[in-house]
Amino acid sequence: MNQAAPLLVLGGTVALLLAVIAIRRGSGLAPAAAGGGLLAALGVIPAAMRAPPLWPNLLDVGGGGFGFLALIIATATLLLIIGAEYWRRAARLPPDEFFLLLVIAALGACVLSVAKDFVALFLGLETMTLAMIGLIAYARHRPEALEAGLKYLILSAMSSAFLLFGVGLLELATGSLDFATVFAAPVNPLMAAGFAMLAIAAGFKLSVVPFHIWVPDVYAGAPAPSAAFLAVIPKIAVLAALLRIGGLQGATLPPAAAQTVTAVAMLSMLAGNLLALQQQNVKRILGYSSIAHLGYLLVAILAAGSLGRVAVVFYIVTYALTMVAAFGVVAVLSNAGAGRDAETIADLRGLFWTRPLPAAVMTLALLSLAGIPPAIGFIAKMYIFAAGVHTALWLLVGTMIASSVIGLFYYLSIIIAMTQKPAADATAARLPAAGRLVLGLVSLAVFGFGVAPQPLMTLVKVMFG
Amino acid sequence: MSLVLLLLVPLLGGALAWPAERVNKNLPRLVSLVSLAISLIIALPLLHATKTGWLADYNIAWIPAFGMRFHLGLDGLSWLLIVLTIILGMFAILVSWRGDQEKTGFFHANLMWSLAGTIGVFLALDLFLFFYFWELMLVPMVFIIAIWGHENRRAAAIKFFLFTQGSGLLILIGILALAFLHQRATGVLSFDYFVLRQNVPGGTAGFLIMLGLFVAFIVKLAAFPVHVWLPLTHTEAPTAGSVILASILLKTGAYGLLRFVAPMFPAACHELAPVALWLGAASIFYGAILAYGQSDLKKLIAYTSISHMGFVLIGVFVFNALAWQGVVFLLIAHGVSTGALFIIVGAVQHRLHTRDLSRMGGLWTDLPKLSSFGTFFVLAAMGLPGLGNFVGEFLILRGAFGAAPIVTIAAAIGLIPAALYSLIAIQRAFHGPATAPRAVPDFGLRENAMMLALAAAIIWLGVYPQPALDAAAPSLTETAPGG
Repeated sequence: MNQAAPLLVLGGTVALLLAVIAIRRGSGLAPAAAGGGLLAALGVIPAAMRAPPLWPNLLDVGGGGFGFLALIIATATLLLIIGAEYWRRAARLPPDEFFLLLVIAALGACVLSVAKDFVALFLGLETMTLAMIGLIAYARHRPEALEAGLKYLILSAMSSAFLLFGVGLLELATGSLDFATVFAAPVNPLMAAGFAMLAIAAGFKLSVVPFHIWVPDVYAGAPAPSAAFLAVIPKIAVLAALLRIGGLQGATLPPAAAQTVTAVAMLSMLAGNLLALQQQNVKRILGYSSIAHLGYLLVAILAAGSLGRVAVVFYIVTYALTMVAAFGVVAVLSNAGAGRDAETIADLRGLFWTRPLPAAVMTLALLSLAGIPPAIGFIAKMYIFAAGVHTALWLLVGTMIASSVIGLFYYLSIIIAMTQKPAADATAARLPAAGRLVLGLVSLAVFGFGVAPQPLMTLVKVMFG
Repeated sequence: MSLVLLLLVPLLGGALAWPAERVNKNLPRLVSLVSLAISLIIALPLLHATKTGWLADYNIAWIPAFGMRFHLGLDGLSWLLIVLTIILGMFAILVSWRGDQEKTGFFHANLMWSLAGTIGVFLALDLFLFFYFWELMLVPMVFIIAIWGHENRRAAAIKFFLFTQGSGLLILIGILALAFLHQRATGVLSFDYFVLRQNVPGGTAGFLIMLGLFVAFIVKLAAFPVHVWLPLTHTEAPTAGSVILASILLKTGAYGLLRFVAPMFPAACHELAPVALWLGAASIFYGAILAYGQSDLKKLIAYTSISHMGFVLIGVFVFNALAWQGVVFLLIAHGVSTGALFIIVGAVQHRLHTRDLSRMGGLWTDLPKLSSFGTFFVLAAMGLPGLGNFVGEFLILRGAFGAAPIVTIAAAIGLIPAALYSLIAIQRAFHGPATAPRAVPDFGLRENAMMLALAAAIIWLGVYPQPALDAAAPSLTETAPGG
């Protein structure tokens, strides 16, 4: 057993899936194999945590790396179950490669989150991104999905170009690709340009203002499980990389950069929530909401110190749970074979009367996004407020209050739409068991940790050290 | 432990009421009523004649990472408000007993959870726990308004939610700032009421924290100029919701002022007092004048609440024990009288399918029992001597006169428009010629019994106020600055 065991298991899963698909396509074994592989990768993490390091130059799993691996793999597992259920209903479309792509993307995200130098970072990022393009465009009978895939392809390529150029400049200035060496070196204009390009690439992946334009179209076009993947996993991985870099010696933000990040955070919070107000499409709303939430996260990142770091980690865990729940509801209500998902507010109207379980889960998820007890989002928001108040970032805290109030409006609109009387002809088929399992698990976590958050706090402390 | 039960019983009652509707439409009502009765049985013996100060206490760790504790405590003030909550909650269930509700189970679950959150607000002695309950009581109420409200329910629910949640964030920031400043001064991170009270920051920081809490609480109290959510919300909510909103939820704002703002920030409060007093006086007049102009009977009653809460605001900010006694008393009397009025309006609407005063008139001939109870409670709300509200208003004015004579005179003048809107409401609704022939039943046994109980309560409060005053006195002398 060594530290890279989870990654090796994921790599083995990819090979296994290829074999399964090559032997017989559409056999129905692919989701089981993918799920088994993800669970095995999750299972070896505790043992790997006690193992000696293997590749000291490429990957570093210290400083919370295992926590992020576990979070990414666990989220991917939940999305896999949702995805399996989602595609099972589309008879015409064999979904085998969807699971393959999902595991590859998860592997890429894992590598990205434990990267120790720019080579590993780029490898992880590209593995993740390329697989995700496939995930987004997988519903190829839908023009919107193809359009979303194309948009994501072009913009990802552009952000990768920025990243590569930035890395090149940094390598030119310092002669090294190792994070520690690069960030310890004194900054000169060449390096500043390199850092700026890195920041732009990170901004694209985190989808903060002004790099957010692609978000609503891509989220709305992608099939619901892929949109959930896109909303959660790249963000966990990029934040993990940012936290790793931020924890290095000499990696403090200079004042000008801190001001820029402050402006980005404020604009993201406000733009995300304001733009969501007029939307009728739940996936779009969740996309805009994710922009605002990344703005909140930047507040915690700016609030340096241990409280800020814990706040970031706690928030990202909460965000992952909540987004899986929200997109999960859209996914279980949708039919992959149809021309579009059950994604408009009109589709959700009367859900409380026809299907109380998904309606309750969606309500809990929206309350969590809005930061209202008893959902866990409340505790997470408290963490961010605490970090902001603690470091006296009053401007950001004020913006966060204002944008939270704006956000309440559209979250509540969805909830109220679900409580309205449905049309008379509304009928509801029984939810599939797997969908109920995932929704039940996630909402139990969202509710349980919202009432008694201490166990999760302890877990976060153990895993993210 | 009994304090935890006070929370758990309604929570579980709500959780049981939801599925109970599958058995029988009336079972959720019965489950809710029984669980509130159990709560009442738990709550009543907690007030001992021999014991003063804190009657019960429950304190365990909740979120140790932040020093947050699950700390509940009960004193005379919270006891009175909790008993009010439970009893009015029972009336809210009884009022819709025969109603043709849809989703009875979910309705009662929300009702019970909202009540549980309110009880939590009155019990919490850890500031973060207080805020948790503060937020928790709102969501079920939003559901009640949004699903079972009248025509304009969507707008009402959203307005209610935005105002109370938005102002709630001010409380959160205030609490966090308070705790961190305390940590900086003493090295201990705690959200406990008693710990934080030892060491409240003065100066600008203290004033700003106090201001944040003050604004949040007067939004809830619905004082002018942050009352704008109240008329729409109270009007559009279903009868049971209006009863809870007006009789109980408004009181949480006053409770916050009495329990947290005034005792924790005495100096800052004295600075703010002139503004607060005039806001109170403005609320009295504003509420009364707008009530006078309403043609919707339910909205009229909603506006009178703003007027009455103006007295409460004045009473709190003159900082003496007499006025505070009056405040507590008025909270209870207003809870009873306004609850009764909303029940009556609900009954009128159920029978005539309108709340419009111009389409009423002459109700006394058709519905003598309803009209006589209506008249009685309007007079009670107006502050007729011998009835509960009078005692509260009198004590407030008496206590305030020494501290702020001009505001007190202004507030007392505000009783004149109160008489105007009361009499005009009685006149237009119950007297005069009937606009149309009506064949509707008068109050039956259930409604008569409810009305008689509430009327007895308001008379008892009016002629023998001492027990209620005694119950609240120890906690007020403990917290009143310069009592």
